[in-house]
Amino acid sequence: MIPWSRSPHQKISAWLGVVPFLAFCLAFEIVPVLLLLSGSFSDKNGAFSLGNYAKISAPIYVRSFWNSIQLSAITAILGASLGLLFGYAIFRLPAPRVREALIALSDVTTNFAGAPLAFAFIVILGSNGVVTLAFEKYLALKLYPTFSIYSYSGLVLAYLYFQLPLMILLIIPAFAGLRREWWESAHNLGANTIQYWRRIALPILTPSLIAGIVLLFANAFGAYATAWTLGGSNITLATIQIAFTITGEVLHDPGAGDALAVVSLLIMGVCIAIYQFANSRARRWAR
Amino acid sequence: MKQRPPVLQGLLVALFVAYMILPIIATYTFSIATKWDITLMPEGYTLEWYQTAFDHPYFSITLTNSFIVSIAAVLVGLLFIVPTTYWVHTRVPAAKPLLDLLMILPFGIPAVVLALALIRVYAFPPFARSPFLLISACVIFSMPFMYRPISNSLMAIDVHTLTESALSLGANTLQILIRVIAPNILPGILSGSLLVFATVFAEFTLANLITGASFKTFPILLVEFTRRDGRIAAALSVISFTVAWFASIAILWVSGRGRKPTEEALGAR
Amino acid sequence: MAYLELKNVSKLFGPVAAVKDFHFAVAKGAFVSLLGPSGCGKTTTLRMIAGFEMPDAGAITLDGTDITSVPPNRRGTGMVFQAYALFPNMNVRDNVAFGLEVTGHPKQEIEGRVREMLALVRLDDTAKRFPHQLSGGQQQRIALARALAIRPRVLLLDEPLSALDAVVRVALRGEIRRIQLELGITTVYVTHDQEEALSISDRVVVMNQGLIEQAGTPEEIYRQPKTRFVAAFIGTANQLNGVVVDRTQVRFGETMLRAPVPSGLKESSKVVVLVRPESIAIHAAAPTDAHNVLEGTIQTITFLGPITRLGVDIGGTRVVADMAASSRAAFTHTQHVWLSFPPDACQVMAEK
Repeated sequence: MIPWSRSPHQKISAWLGVVPFLAFCLAFEIVPVLLLLSGSFSDKNGAFSLGNYAKISAPIYVRSFWNSIQLSAITAILGASLGLLFGYAIFRLPAPRVREALIALSDVTTNFAGAPLAFAFIVILGSNGVVTLAFEKYLALKLYPTFSIYSYSGLVLAYLYFQLPLMILLIIPAFAGLRREWWESAHNLGANTIQYWRRIALPILTPSLIAGIVLLFANAFGAYATAWTLGGSNITLATIQIAFTITGEVLHDPGAGDALAVVSLLIMGVCIAIYQFANSRARRWAR
Repeated sequence: MKQRPPVLQGLLVALFVAYMILPIIATYTFSIATKWDITLMPEGYTLEWYQTAFDHPYFSITLTNSFIVSIAAVLVGLLFIVPTTYWVHTRVPAAKPLLDLLMILPFGIPAVVLALALIRVYAFPPFARSPFLLISACVIFSMPFMYRPISNSLMAIDVHTLTESALSLGANTLQILIRVIAPNILPGILSGSLLVFATVFAEFTLANLITGASFKTFPILLVEFTRRDGRIAAALSVISFTVAWFASIAILWVSGRGRKPTEEALGAR
Repeated sequence: MAYLELKNVSKLFGPVAAVKDFHFAVAKGAFVSLLGPSGCGKTTTLRMIAGFEMPDAGAITLDGTDITSVPPNRRGTGMVFQAYALFPNMNVRDNVAFGLEVTGHPKQEIEGRVREMLALVRLDDTAKRFPHQLSGGQQQRIALARALAIRPRVLLLDEPLSALDAVVRVALRGEIRRIQLELGITTVYVTHDQEEALSISDRVVVMNQGLIEQAGTPEEIYRQPKTRFVAAFIGTANQLNGVVVDRTQVRFGETMLRAPVPSGLKESSKVVVLVRPESIAIHAAAPTDAHNVLEGTIQTITFLGPITRLGVDIGGTRVVADMAASSRAAFTHTQHVWLSFPPDACQVMAEK
């Protein structure tokens, strides 16, 4: 393809150019993760063992994974559905400047995760938060103690804050990929709006939608700072349990930490694989 | 397509904007409020919390530390990713899938897991719990943000044709990189750098787990204050948000400038 | 007998009129092309027939009934778009069946019609394939089959060949004409390619800036262009600026040209004399028995296959003349030559 890099000698030296970066990735990503994997299958003396995985079948760990999965699934599905709705409203705005501004807002806010975001939610939805007070004063609705920003229901709201804009950013290009000709052809052939959405638009959007949901799921599953700031040790999530094995705040077995990390990696790996597959489907149609 | 009733559409957009900016506005207001816990609006306004925050001994230390880590992560990222990406695009297209895979991996590794894995391996000095290890972790964690804009701008400019025409005009590889490629992918490099800077600056998990108390960063201080003094936490959150806003506006400005020529070219067709 | 009729139709986009007072009738079974440069209003006109744009003034009737306000999905017009309009999530069979399925046709009828349509476009074996597995030309044939499957009253084609390679383009335009004649379907075809329009149409409507410049058979459009725009847009025409002397003569520089001057043009008014390059004869020596002789120097010689085109400088005006490739005469660059053309090959029109 490129005539000036054709000779075998040049080809090998060309690959050498990738070596420094590859070495860096190996040193600080791949090898440590592989060692974690092998560590999870070893006992204290380094012999092969499934003991670590037996340890993490304890109720606290099982519950932490279950909580993580539930929280991720709820925020992914809510985020994706609302993102689809809001994203379409934004996409169809007649004023391109307003549309651009809202996309920019999504771009900024989806990165507002972690401590400052968690704190912002305490300000509005804490027990003395401005929204909590407004609900009490104007709607005579006491949010507490049914709802608490420091509990899982609060986490859902806080997570949605970065999930929703992420979905909007993922889905707007998919809306833009719906060609006007498809709607016009369908309409011209006698279809009404509902038939068009059910038989053409939604099937075409489905891969992007699935890609969005799994990415949101992974995004929530790996999150730590927001949950830690809001709930601290009151919240039992997989990432918080793994962090405990590092900080040693609670007496934890390092081997169990490795096993927890490997299970998390497995779940994330499945998400990324589905994401890649769905994305390639979406791209195939986008041509 | 049938026009959706604009009322519904407007309502949805308004709801979205309210949800997105209410927490931020509230935080800004809280940081300058004298007392705001039983009334709907603050009882008075003050800059006292900022003063207290600035006076805190750890304020300038953690801010400096965060800047050091963020800038170092940007520089190391640039050093590895720009030449590698360019090299792969032009000389070893066969390595492109490998590079793409390496760049998707960090998405699949939660920050806590990355921290755990690195701490296990680098338990010896000078790495153990060191800023170096933190910077390396941040580079790994943020490299997709650097790679994507650079890779996209390399693809947008058709590196092959540009490189081949420069070669045919007698330029050498270094001249091509500096005088032809770099100016064309500069918007990509800049927005990638800003994105990495913003991400690393706000990164709490890696810093808290890898260096912790031995090298405190700004987000660590912020989390400490959310448990001790909400008003100072608000002031610190505002600073954190403001850094993020500045980075985002700079990214928009940079990528807007980078996009313009192509839009004009399309318009001219 | 008018089947499809556009009556004084206008369409504004903001302050800009895309189509102005368009008045035209299409006979049943005719193939009509709307031809013009981009932005001339041809696509807007077609989209108004399909119902995707509402005219701001005027009416559209089909088979005697006013369809101006009938929504596109009830009009019974079949439309073929420029490209990429096949539904990517459906295979060929589902694409072709779509229009019948959404309007609730019985299953058996649908299957029969799909088979019939695929046979019509000669792609019987592609039913299970997806659009991205087909070539551009195949996709457009399926798009045609899909549009025809609903048995439309009018077939509308919006530059259906513009995204294809030259060879496929020529082959497919022949296919389109064959199928149109086979079905006898009234067809409106939009194109910016004059060769395409002339080769497949019964009638051609040349449009410019939202107005009809000229409508007529391909021969009329080519041989008797009514305006300078048509003359310049269709084929190649030399335009010689001159002044009317009398009913049979126009002065071009120092030369008197014999040409039929239409009665509307007054003496000493400024005119343009149009001459097609193929009507011009080239002589190596001054001809004695010819009308309209111009003397000049060869600037360019362009070999075009069946013909060779000479560009000749006539005192500052460039005139092109065609010479059959079979001609024995050999000319060289900068050679001094004489051009001549018969008076009836000239067309005189006002300069403005």
